[in-house]
Formats: sequence, structure tokens, C-alpha cells
Amino acid sequence: MRSSNPAKTNVIWHRRIGLSVFVLLMFLAISGIALNHSPALKLNKISLSSNWLLSWYGLEKSPINAFKLNEKWLFENGNNLLYVDGQSVAPCSAPLLSVANSSNILFALCADTLHLLTDNGQLLESYSQMDGLPASTGSIVAAGNTLYLLTDSAVFEFNPHSLDLKPSPEVDRASLNPVTDPQTLPELLEQQLKNSGPSISLETVILDLHSGRFFGQFGVLVMDIVGLLVCILSITGLLAWISRLRQIKQ
Amino acid sequence: MFNSLLNKLLCKVIFTGLLTTTLLASPQLIAKGVYQSGPDFIAEVFEPAQPEAGVLWFNDSIRQQAEKILGHRVLGLRVRYHQSGAKTAWILNEIGKEMPITIGVVIDEGKISSVKILAYRESRGGEVRYPAYMAQYQGASLTERYKLNKSIDGITGATLSVWAVNKVAALALYYHSQVVSKPESIK
Repeated sequence: MRSSNPAKTNVIWHRRIGLSVFVLLMFLAISGIALNHSPALKLNKISLSSNWLLSWYGLEKSPINAFKLNEKWLFENGNNLLYVDGQSVAPCSAPLLSVANSSNILFALCADTLHLLTDNGQLLESYSQMDGLPASTGSIVAAGNTLYLLTDSAVFEFNPHSLDLKPSPEVDRASLNPVTDPQTLPELLEQQLKNSGPSISLETVILDLHSGRFFGQFGVLVMDIVGLLVCILSITGLLAWISRLRQIKQ
Repeated sequence: MFNSLLNKLLCKVIFTGLLTTTLLASPQLIAKGVYQSGPDFIAEVFEPAQPEAGVLWFNDSIRQQAEKILGHRVLGLRVRYHQSGAKTAWILNEIGKEMPITIGVVIDEGKISSVKILAYRESRGGEVRYPAYMAQYQGASLTERYKLNKSIDGITGATLSVWAVNKVAALALYYHSQVVSKPESIK
């Protein structure tokens, strides 16, 4: 049955809104206090690296593809950086797909860039999809003095000096043996990776939960609605108080 | 009566608030994208001529100066460019806020002829690619202190991207000066 008394309706809505936002309001208050005291609580120093959380933030721990070439270990460190032994040399979108060695130049093919390195592991230059590297390049292979880039459907001859690509339809793919099978990284380098893997600070997670960003645009919208409902809660509370004052006067 | 009026007002506030919230939560304007590939940019700049491709190797002095201009370490041992007569074109990357911006710079007779954003990967600040903003760089050259000799107006909300474009423009002018003045042995 609907109440015809506006004062009663006001109180009913005040209760309903209060109950519906109670849990979220408590969370907002507690997380807000925690964020205000983040430096004292050292929330930014607490790193979280659980798989589901990293996956939620789009920072999945991809398997480390490591290759040994010319007595050097080439690998992507899980943070989109190409390492040669213990040294970071260039940005590298995971995964590291393939490596090759030709004319004293080492080649490391990442997801969207081919890096050219000197034989002692220094970066010479990078050749990206912006420069003409075919988007579906999956491996690089040296056959004699010639380098080939293999895409899903084609083979290209690659000149490392001019960075020119030339289709080579006459080359038999089966005769090329690219290095694409990763090897196990030595323990020492593996240990180094554990300290450099992706992580998220507790402060960031609380801040994202507080603002609703943790759940994307939907979460932000929900927090906006909660904010709006809190305003309405204050107004209905004020109205209830005024009507009660009137009743007392009458 | 008073309460009834206030209740009506409350309904209106709720409706307006929800509407505003929905509008605010609508998808933001996405600025990022790849606008032109490097080879297409080079072809467009030198059309109909066929430019010569060149490589500038970094010696200690070039590297130091380049790092001074950028304010950070320069990756790689060499950089590619294209040249036709006194005109050179450079495609360089520089981080805006978090992601690299790919910028094409054309220099003619020691002055910037054009600057173009080829790829912008940040979600905000993409206004730097608008022609009206880029036109400011035309005619700019390098001062003795390796800065642009023209003042470039900033863009609110895209400060870091503007700084990145300024640095790349100055760096391309510096590289150009090394290419046109360097001894044949380095080329």
C-alpha cells in the first residue's frame, strides 16, 4: 500500500537509500581514511603480484621466452624489456618470438619490433611495424649470409644494413629452421627476474576500488550513483528532521 | 504542501543527477592511433623524387648532445634518415607521458619544414597532432644552445606531449646539422 503522507514517504525513501548504500558508504569511508594516511601505513610500499590481480590489470605474467645466442642469454623480462644477460637494452613487447645471428649482428624479434644488436649485446637500432616490419612476422632465420623474416603466409629477405624487405616466394619455408623454441633461463637470471616482474601497489588497488575504476566505467558509474544517493540521503534526512520539528510544534 | 513540493523537487534532482552521471560516464574521446606509416610519410614528403636513405652513427659527442636535448639516455648506436638535396626527413620516437609518440620531422636548409605525428599511443593529449598546432614549428631552427628559436604555444592537458614534440623537433634539427656538416667518412 502506498503512503499518501509526504513526510512518511520521505522517511521511507531515507531508510531505503540508507540501507542500499550502507555497505558501500562504509567501504568508502574506511578506504578514504586509509588513502589519507597512505604514507604512514606504507600502502605504496606493499606490492601485490597475484596472478588474477595482474591479469585484471592487464599485466599477466607471460611465460619468459629465453634464447641463448653467441653465449649470451636474450630474454624479455616480463615488463616488456629486452635483456641481454643481466642488462636491459630495449623496449620489447612480449613475447620474444625468435632470435638469429648473422654477420656479427644479433637479431631479437619481439611481438612488434625487430631489434638489431651488436655481438656484445649493444642495441644498434630497432625496426618496427611503423618502419615496415610485417604485422604477422613470427620468426627470423639466418641461412648462410641471408636473413629471412617469416610471416604467416610469406617469406621476406631482410637486408640488415638498408632495412629493405624483399618477398622471396622461391624460398622453401621447410628448408628454414628458425630458432623459436625458448630455453630454460639459468637460475641466476631467473632470480633477477623475480625482483623485476610486474606488480601493483596496494595503494593503487585501494584508490581504484575507492573511485570505482577497478571495475572500469561501470564501477565509476556505480560510485557516482552512490555519491548522488548520499546527497539525497542528506536531503531526506534534513526533511525528516524538519517535519518532526513541525509535528512537535503543532 | 511544503513536503510535497520538496518531494517533487527531489525527484527532479535524482533524475537530473542520474542523467548527468550517465553522460559523464560515456566513452571518452580516444586520442590514440597510428595515422601514417614511416614509409608512407617518407614517400609523401619527397614525392615525386626518390630520397636517399642514410645512417647517422652516434659518436660520443653526438650522443652526449642528443642526450642533453632529450634529457635522457639515447637508445641505439645509429639513426636512419632520408635525404634529397638539402632536405632531410627523420622519424623519431619520444615518450609523452608513458607511451612513445612517433614523430616525423622534415628539415629543409636547416629549418623545420613540417612536423607530423605518425603514431600517438597515449589515451589523452592527442591534440598535438592537429595541423594548427603543428604549423607552429614551420621555419623553426636551432639556437646555439640547441633549443628551438621559436616559442611554441602549449596545449592544456597535453603538456608532456608538447614537450616531447619540442624535444624531437630540436633533436631532428641537431641530427640534420650533423648530416649536412659531417665529414664524408662518418656518412
